[in-house]
Amino acid sequence: MASISREQIVENLVKLLDEEKVVTDEQVLKDSSVDRFRRYEEIHGFYTQPLPAAVVYAGSKEDVASILKFASEHSINVVPRTGDSATEGGLETAVEHSIVLDGSGMNEIISIDPYNMLATCQCGAPLQDLEDRLREQGYTTGHSPQSKPLAQLGGLVATRSIGQFSTLYGGIEDMVVGLEAVFPNGEITKIKNVPRRAAGPDIRHVIIGNEGALCYITEVTVKIYKYSPENNYLLGYTLDNMKTGFEILREVMVNGYRPSVARLYDEEDGSQHFSHFAEDKCVLILMAEGPKPLAEATGKAMEAIVEKYAECEKVDHRLIQVWFDNLNWDVSKVAEEREEIFATKNISNTTEIAATWDKIYDIYKVCVERIRTEIPDITLIGGHSSHSYLNGTNMYFVYFYNVVDCSPEEEISKYHLPIKRIIVEETIKAGGSMCHHHGVGKHRTPWIKDEYGSSYYILKTLKEAFDPEGIMNKGTIFPGE
Amino acid sequence: MQILACFKVVPDLDQMPAGDWLVDDRFRVETGYVKNMLNPYDESALEITLRYADQARRGNLPLNLTALTIGSKQADTYLKTLYALRYDKAVRVASDRDIRFLPEIAAAVISEYAAEKNRADVLIMGMQSGVGDNAKTPLLTAEYLNWPCITGVVAIEPANNGTKNLLKVKSMVDSGILEQTVRPPLVLAVSNAPGTYLRVPTLKDKVEYGKKPVEVQEMDNFKTGLAAANTSGGCRLTGLKPINHRREGLIIDGETAAEKARILYHSYLRERLGKL
Repeated sequence: MASISREQIVENLVKLLDEEKVVTDEQVLKDSSVDRFRRYEEIHGFYTQPLPAAVVYAGSKEDVASILKFASEHSINVVPRTGDSATEGGLETAVEHSIVLDGSGMNEIISIDPYNMLATCQCGAPLQDLEDRLREQGYTTGHSPQSKPLAQLGGLVATRSIGQFSTLYGGIEDMVVGLEAVFPNGEITKIKNVPRRAAGPDIRHVIIGNEGALCYITEVTVKIYKYSPENNYLLGYTLDNMKTGFEILREVMVNGYRPSVARLYDEEDGSQHFSHFAEDKCVLILMAEGPKPLAEATGKAMEAIVEKYAECEKVDHRLIQVWFDNLNWDVSKVAEEREEIFATKNISNTTEIAATWDKIYDIYKVCVERIRTEIPDITLIGGHSSHSYLNGTNMYFVYFYNVVDCSPEEEISKYHLPIKRIIVEETIKAGGSMCHHHGVGKHRTPWIKDEYGSSYYILKTLKEAFDPEGIMNKGTIFPGE
Repeated sequence: MQILACFKVVPDLDQMPAGDWLVDDRFRVETGYVKNMLNPYDESALEITLRYADQARRGNLPLNLTALTIGSKQADTYLKTLYALRYDKAVRVASDRDIRFLPEIAAAVISEYAAEKNRADVLIMGMQSGVGDNAKTPLLTAEYLNWPCITGVVAIEPANNGTKNLLKVKSMVDSGILEQTVRPPLVLAVSNAPGTYLRVPTLKDKVEYGKKPVEVQEMDNFKTGLAAANTSGGCRLTGLKPINHRREGLIIDGETAAEKARILYHSYLRERLGKL
C-alpha cells in the first residue's frame, strides 16, 4: 500500500517530529500490531499481523496533522490509538508498514467548567484521571466503562463507548458536547460547545464512533453531572428466568423510570460473580441515583415493579455493592488474566449486540443454544444485559473455551470467529444490531453491509469523502480489500 | 495410587473494601459479602494432582483421586467442578463451625478420613491459607498419621522407571528445586507453584461427570477430630489488630535522570548508607 519503503517512512517521521517520538523497537512494534482481540496469540509470543513501520507519539494536534498529511501523500496506513484497551481488532495493523499514531501523551485535562457543566480534555487524558478530578469537586462524567482504569478519552469517543451507568447518563454519544479532530488531509476541525443546535445534521456523529477510520480525535468536551453517591438506591434480586428479567427491565423503562444501573445476568455468566449468594440463579441489579428525592422515588418505584414477580428474591444490597466496586479492569487484573490464560489455555471473549424488547430474548436463547451445541471445548456460555433503553436492551454474550489441539494462531479461527458469527448472524437475522458498544473493529466487517442495509450508502460515502486515499485504519468498520 | 487432595474455600479478600475491615465483639471480620474462591495454594495442589493424573493415565498406572474439604454447602460448587475434572470422589465434611484458627481439628479430620475411610497413599494440600494462615495443617496431619511430609512442593510425577507406587516430587528448597523419588505414604504441602491455576472443565464434561452427588460426611462422625477440638487449647484468639501497611511515597522532581539520582542520594540514601 505505501508508496515509499519502510526505511523512508521512518526517516521522514523523524524529520517531521523529534526522534524520541518515533519508536521502532521490535517488541514495541510487535505489541502495537494487535489489541486484546489477539491476546491469546500474543500471550504465547505469536504475532501474525504485519508489524508497523513505527509507533509515533504525537504531542499536539499539529503533530497529528503533519503525520496524517504525510501518510496521505504516501498512501501509508495510520492506526490511531490512545489507551490501547480495544477488544475488537480495531488497533491491529492490517497492512504492511503502517504507522501507529499514539495520542496517549496528549493527556491534559484542559478545563473543568462547573458553571456550564463541561470538561474538556486532550485525547490521551485517562478517563480515570478525569473522573477522579471531577469527584474531588463533587462532579462526575457519568461514564464508567469496565475499562475506566485503562481507557482514554479519544479512544472512548472513537469506539462509541458506554459505561455502567448508561441507562441514566447515556452512552458517550450522549455525553460529548464538542470535539476537535484532524482529518487525513491534515485539516484540523473543531466543533464548538453548545447545548444544542439545529443548523444542519449533527456532524459530531461523523467523528463519534469512527474508530479511527475517518479522522483522529485530538480533543473532547463532555458534559459533567453532580455526583451524589450517598443517595444511591441499590437493589439486587435473584430470579429463575431471563425472560422474566427482560420483562422487568422493559417495565421499568417503558414506565419512564431511569435507573443508572439496570443489569440482568443469566445463571452461567452470573456464576462468575454471584456464586456466593445466587447459585444456579439469574441476578437482576437496579440502581437509582441523583438528587435524593428523585433517587428514592425511582428506587421505590422499581422495587414495586419487581415485587410483582414472585420468582424474584431480594438480596442484601451490600453483596451487590462489593461486587460492583470490584468490576473494573485495571493493569493488575489484565496481568493476572494473561498468566491464567497461559497456564490453563482457557480464554474468555465477548460479543455485544442490541435489539428491541420483542427480539432480545429469542436472540439470547438461540445464540446460547447454538454455541453450546456447535462450538467445541466451551467451558462457559452466558451473558448479561447491561444497558437498557425505551425500545430495547443489549445482550453481552460472554464465552470461555479451552484451546485444544490447535496452535495459538488458530485459536481465533477455530473458536472466536465461529462464535461471533453465530451471534452476529442470528442478531442481524432478527433485526438487531451486531455491535452495541465495542465497535466494529476488524472482525465484524464481513457483516457491516448487512448491519446497515440500504443505509450503507451513507456510511460508505463518509469514508470516500473524508478518507479518499484510504489511509485511516485499514480494515476497520469498512472491510479490507 | 490413592491420592487425597484437600482444599479450603476462602473469601476473596482482595475484594474487601478497606472500610469493611472491622472486628466485631467475637473477633470476627465480616467477609460474607465477598465472593469466595479456592485457597490459591490448595488450587495449586488440586492442579498438580491432575497433572500427575494425566501422566499416570498415559502410563496406565492405577490411580484414584479423591478431593476433600471441610465446610458448608457453598463448597459443593467446587467439588462438582472437581468431579467434572475427573476426580473420582468428592467429599465434604459438613461443618459450620469456624475452625480457621484450629488447625488441629482440620488435621485430625483429614488424617482420620485418609487412614480409615480413604486408605490414601498420598495426601496433598496447600501449605497454608490466607485466612488463619497458620501453615500447620499439613504438618500436623503428617504427625497424626506418622507419615513423612515434604513441604514446598511444586510438582509431582510418576517415577521415571514407571515403578508402581513410587513418586517423583519436586520441591523448593533454599538452594533451588529439589527432586526426590519417594515411596508413599506421605503428605505433600504445596507452596508457591508458578502456573498452576486449576484447569477449567468443558460444559460437556460438567454434564458427563459433574453431576455426581457430593459425598457428605458429618463432622460428628470424626471422633478423633472432635477429641482434638476438645483438647486443643494451645492457641486462643484474644484480639485482632490491623497491621498498618501504609507507606509514604514521594515523587522526586528533576530535569534529568542524573539530577533525580543526585537528589535521591543526597536527600535519602547517603545518611542511611552511612549507618550500614
